[in-house]
Amino acid sequence: MSKKLQGNGLWESSRMMLPEHKAEIVSSAKAAKYRQPSELDEHEWEQISRAVAESMELRQPIALRMYHPYEETKVIGTVERIDHYRGRFMVDGEWFEIRHIEGVDEYSA
Amino acid sequence: MAVVSRTIMLADCQSFYASVEKAHHPEYAGKPVVVAGDPERRSGIVLAACPLAKAKGVTTAERLGEAIAKCPDVVIVRPRMAEYIRVSLQISEIYRSYTDLVEPYSIDEQFIDVTGALHRYSGDYEEMARQIQQHVLAETGIYCRFGISENKILAKTACDNYAKKNESGVYVLPKDKLAGTLWTLPIQKLFMAGNRMTHHFRSMGIETIGDLANTPLERLKLLMRRKFGKNSDINAELYWRIANGEDDSPVTPQTHEEAPKSIGHQMTLPRDYGTLEELKVVLLELTELVCQRCRGKGFMGQVIAVGCQGADFDRPTGFFRQMKMMDPTNVTNQVYRAAVQLLERYWDGNPVRKVGVTLAQFQDSEHYQLALFDDRERSMALERATDALKEKYGDSIIMRAVSMTPAGQARDRSGKIGGHYK
Repeated sequence: MSKKLQGNGLWESSRMMLPEHKAEIVSSAKAAKYRQPSELDEHEWEQISRAVAESMELRQPIALRMYHPYEETKVIGTVERIDHYRGRFMVDGEWFEIRHIEGVDEYSA
Repeated sequence: MAVVSRTIMLADCQSFYASVEKAHHPEYAGKPVVVAGDPERRSGIVLAACPLAKAKGVTTAERLGEAIAKCPDVVIVRPRMAEYIRVSLQISEIYRSYTDLVEPYSIDEQFIDVTGALHRYSGDYEEMARQIQQHVLAETGIYCRFGISENKILAKTACDNYAKKNESGVYVLPKDKLAGTLWTLPIQKLFMAGNRMTHHFRSMGIETIGDLANTPLERLKLLMRRKFGKNSDINAELYWRIANGEDDSPVTPQTHEEAPKSIGHQMTLPRDYGTLEELKVVLLELTELVCQRCRGKGFMGQVIAVGCQGADFDRPTGFFRQMKMMDPTNVTNQVYRAAVQLLERYWDGNPVRKVGVTLAQFQDSEHYQLALFDDRERSMALERATDALKEKYGDSIIMRAVSMTPAGQARDRSGKIGGHYK
């Protein structure tokens, strides 16, 4: 089977798009996906810090929703260290910024 | 699961470039306007003519001199491609306020899948199209025509053959009514059938789109194999499906975000080029553009294709050939070496009006095999520097010395989009 007869092939192979037009479409699609960091209230912060502390003390894995400008990201694992001075925590040997945490999710193995 | 019938629209902007200019220049209202490639030269080409100019007989793609002869009071405007792209995106944004399924097909045509939004118009898609039409007209001053059906090919067909010609600019083409509509049209109205294909269909005894649709597919394959050889089965099926209005391709908004399978540039020359020396200059310039874009996207390509065409498209001369290089690369000089080989081997000495270079079969440029006899690192470092300069100050900030010779086109091209003024 040829690509022309499958999926969107007919239209992909016949269209006339200026590369500059295409580049603008791609960059505006990316800009539309830009996420504002969410602002957490005191109660939410308390919940997060309790979950992070418990994870470290009780060696329990947790799932943290993290801020990323374009994607939904999560850190899943057991918190190994917390560096209050530099505002970061370590999971699986990798440091993450505490200020990027957006929430705690139910951990499921 | 029950199959829900879709409702697809193809919205086409009338005389797009000319309409944008008229909307931005109220003083042109009521006057015939054309946008022409190069208003200073009578040999420039009409890119778009407004309906008033068309009424005087001006057609798209004819020479400016001919247009002036037909319509001496015509207003001639220089193209502003960047502005047309901006307005096209603005129109996409308007369509997206009705449905998120919007796929730009060209600068002035977009597919819209409104299946999920129809309930707000009690299922009346014609009314919905009229509202979108009013909305676009009010915000941009551009008049759009809507072809409506259950799939993309029928929507496109409805727009091209009916919506562009009727009073309302909206036309619904139901798939079960093709016998009285689409099938009565002559074969040259078929989407994707050019002059030569039309001619071939006629010689097979196919005069109307209906004749094609009602030829059994196996018989059509046989007829086309006799003319074009064994590899024509796919095209046979393609034309047969178009004639029968069969198309299950989805409206794909993210279609332009997918990584390209090849990157190419082509250029129409201001005059015929007849010597190898001259052709090599534009070949190098095109190769540089192609490689620059590949480097920007992080690709290395292994297959290089070069094409040359003569000025008379009705009597085609020239070639289009490709070859595989030793290693994938995006270094201009390496790709250029291969491109020159192709040119020297396949160019027959006839004058050339259009040159194209395409690089394909990509791999990621972060990981590559070291070549023993080529000091690639040095050229790559140099090209990183020139690319950064061009990124910051524009393509004309630094260029090769040959581009300053009379054959060079790089300086001219850097001020253009799609071959026309920015």
